[in-house]
Amino acid sequence: MADKSPTWEEGISRNDIFREIFDRIQTGIMIIDAETHAIVDINDDAEHLIGLSKDQIIGKTCHDFVCLAHCGECPITDQHNLFHSTERVLVSASGERIPVLKTVALATVKTRTYLIESFVDIRDQKKAEERMVALLAYLNESVLRVQKPLELTCQNLLSIEPEIGSGDYNAEEIRMQIQVQVANLNTMSATLKDLARQAAEGQKEIPDGFREFIVGK
Amino acid sequence: MTNNGGLDLTTDTRLYLLLSNPQDINSMNIMVVKKSLSEGCTPLIVSINRPGQVLTKSYAKEGISRDQYYVVDAVTHYSGGTAISDPHIRYVNQPSDLTGLGIAITELLKEIPAQKKCIIFDSVSMLLIHIPTATASKFLHFVVNKLKLSDVSGIFLCVENGIDPLIFSQMSAFVDRIVQYDDLKKEFTVLSGSWK
Repeated sequence: MADKSPTWEEGISRNDIFREIFDRIQTGIMIIDAETHAIVDINDDAEHLIGLSKDQIIGKTCHDFVCLAHCGECPITDQHNLFHSTERVLVSASGERIPVLKTVALATVKTRTYLIESFVDIRDQKKAEERMVALLAYLNESVLRVQKPLELTCQNLLSIEPEIGSGDYNAEEIRMQIQVQVANLNTMSATLKDLARQAAEGQKEIPDGFREFIVGK
Repeated sequence: MTNNGGLDLTTDTRLYLLLSNPQDINSMNIMVVKKSLSEGCTPLIVSINRPGQVLTKSYAKEGISRDQYYVVDAVTHYSGGTAISDPHIRYVNQPSDLTGLGIAITELLKEIPAQKKCIIFDSVSMLLIHIPTATASKFLHFVVNKLKLSDVSGIFLCVENGIDPLIFSQMSAFVDRIVQYDDLKKEFTVLSGSWK
């Protein structure tokens, strides 16, 4: 007996309740014909992420938006890979490469197979991760600016000690050397205080100069 | 950049990064000064570590006379000390005064009459007490470019594992050779007669 249930295009997506839920979900969803790779439907969140209206997206191939693979190299239908919350890139209409967590499920409706692609925008998480890495690098750099100089200062003070009784250096020369070490310790202390102040203020951004340094611009 | 062999100031302009433990950095300074003099190269010592007057005395104890080298002294004023009038010494107000350091290095290099000269920067680690790594990196690039344009060799002293890995990798990229204190010491021990 022939299957009389409707295809996606014929009916499912026209169900009012389903449509309402489909469009309100805060995850981008794209329905793709597995054979032709044509986009047959998208929800509001996907529309918003891509930056084009549904009319401009439906009918286009998925290679234009959600996937950077070439035609015939589909990671799902050609290479049989699985995507479950996998980090991928979605290309928006403006050309922005948006990092997303993507899941792809296969669904057969009547005789046709669809790829149900869902993706969550993770730009904020990526920015937070990058900021944390940069902050850790900044903290590490600040600690290094104190740690080895402290060892050097300690060594310098140790080397001044025998000079005091040797008669080789006069009182002013000894005083200058000690004063250099004192001034260095004060500078290191100021570096630590600045670090503590930034931590106390919940500093989220690293200084511009250091950012330029680590990104090489 | 390679990390084999020691210092060679007899050939073309070279840039070196010399690494040591904190306790050996002063000995390394003296070894390098002796080495450069033994190879007919007049050293300009950029001191972020010890006042020029103290350097002069420690060099004199090693048989190095005052007219054999030049000093850019960034710590005498910083320590509240008094500058002494000496054409071989140029003072900078404080180690963080990079503009002053740059000018002093440039001017003193021009005044050194010797054909072969080198700068000995003592030390990158101490400079980092006074300025952030990012600023130090820019300044050291400036110094390296200045040296290359002037055909002057550069020897940068640094405490091992004492600087940010990023600045270390940048410095490793622009020097010709990284030399460990132990390797320098072996060379010094073998050739110490001819170094003096």
